[in-house]
Amino acid sequence: MTQLATPLDELNLNRADLFEQGQAHDVFRYLREHQPVHWNREGKRNVGFWNITKYEDVMFISRNPELFISSKDIGSAYPKDESEFDPETDDRGKHLIKMDPPRHVRVRRLVNKGFTPRAVNALEPHIREITNHILDDIEHKERTDFVLDVASQLPLAVICEMMGVPRKDWPYMFQLTNKVLGAADSEYQTDVPDEIRGTPEGAQETARQGMREMRQYFAAQLADRKGERKDDLLSLLVDSEDKGETLTDDEILWFAFLLIVAGNETTRNAISGGLHVLSEHPEQRKKLQDDMSLLPSAVEEILRWVSPVMHMARVATDDVEIRGTRIKKGERVVMWYPSVNRDEDIFADPYTFNITRDPNDHLAFGIGEHFCLGAGFARLELKVMFEELFRRFPDIQVDGEPERLRSNFIGGVKHLPVKLR
Amino acid sequence: MRVFVDPDLCEGHSKCEKSAPAVFEVRDDDLSYVLLDPVPEEHREGVERAVRVCPRGAIAMTEDNE
Repeated sequence: MTQLATPLDELNLNRADLFEQGQAHDVFRYLREHQPVHWNREGKRNVGFWNITKYEDVMFISRNPELFISSKDIGSAYPKDESEFDPETDDRGKHLIKMDPPRHVRVRRLVNKGFTPRAVNALEPHIREITNHILDDIEHKERTDFVLDVASQLPLAVICEMMGVPRKDWPYMFQLTNKVLGAADSEYQTDVPDEIRGTPEGAQETARQGMREMRQYFAAQLADRKGERKDDLLSLLVDSEDKGETLTDDEILWFAFLLIVAGNETTRNAISGGLHVLSEHPEQRKKLQDDMSLLPSAVEEILRWVSPVMHMARVATDDVEIRGTRIKKGERVVMWYPSVNRDEDIFADPYTFNITRDPNDHLAFGIGEHFCLGAGFARLELKVMFEELFRRFPDIQVDGEPERLRSNFIGGVKHLPVKLR
Repeated sequence: MRVFVDPDLCEGHSKCEKSAPAVFEVRDDDLSYVLLDPVPEEHREGVERAVRVCPRGAIAMTEDNE
């Protein structure tokens, strides 16, 4: 592509419609070629930032977590006026994803033993059982919404069980997660006044509602665990201590919030996106279904292709140069994962979906200090889901257009109609 | 060259073991161990790849004259 509809100095990647309409890859391709470190103009309320679209630059930023910190929030949109933060929902510095080393290293050690590949793989039989229960529920149907009935159900069940959330409350966790991460999408702005629905104010209020309610919910759960420990992660957090590091109650509540939200929104979209991309490439799908031993490699290609988390932002703690462009101390850099995962300098034929791609060093989980804690779960859930899905519904077909989430943060699919046989 | 794994960062993702199986071994405690010290030159390519792909950036290498 030779031209963009918007001049580069006007281009604004905070605009969610760019992603909802599926134009973002054209923009990223253009930026990689013409301005890989691109200044995104400031908005009415938000500060400007640097769009980072090349693989090696995202590696550099990710490998230097003291030079590029996370505690000044990790989204692209950041208010010019600090007073816009609401004390009750301001989670900067409160949980892993928004924490910096050295504290980040110590706090992550409190929980990471439960997330190592070995610990995760021990849960495979159980995850397979959950998957089959989910598929039992659609057995009698001809058609279904794959996102609501299948893709969202597995990661939700896994993370809720792990946290000790009773089954009756799982739909509530799903609903709150949608409010937090789908806040910009009016489908989830269910409890705001009509006059602000669909506006940035509506999005902000929806996200805050989701955060407040989830914290209230876990405050009650936490009180419960303090009375009596259970075999769950919440109880483990209460007792956690490592080299003198412990968590306050406030931090435990934020931790629970992070795990629920991150654990159920991301893999959901990798599963839905995976079925969608396989359906768009029938020869690749046939190759996989003919030889399911290709699945681990196919899962990596799905992750590269879908890149469910689209960006993470950092703030420079010193002046630094990236690809010849001077970034000043205090400025934001936004790393775009869908872009780096199609970087022509790293991936041969980046726009070809190839389930046997090797090597495939995609950064869908990020890399370095903040590498996705739940990556092992995501990989296993994807593998088990496609094994069982194709075993039981080998002819499942996408039966309509996916309805995309309005967001520049989560590459989400809200609804995906499928024909099961 | 000498190779080190930071046990505070390593989470047993085993990418190093796949990149340089003669150099790294991930054991039952989910930590990667360096099997050779110093590491012979023939393993350089594998070790460099391990450093690059380690998800946590837990691997460091130094040259013999450092």
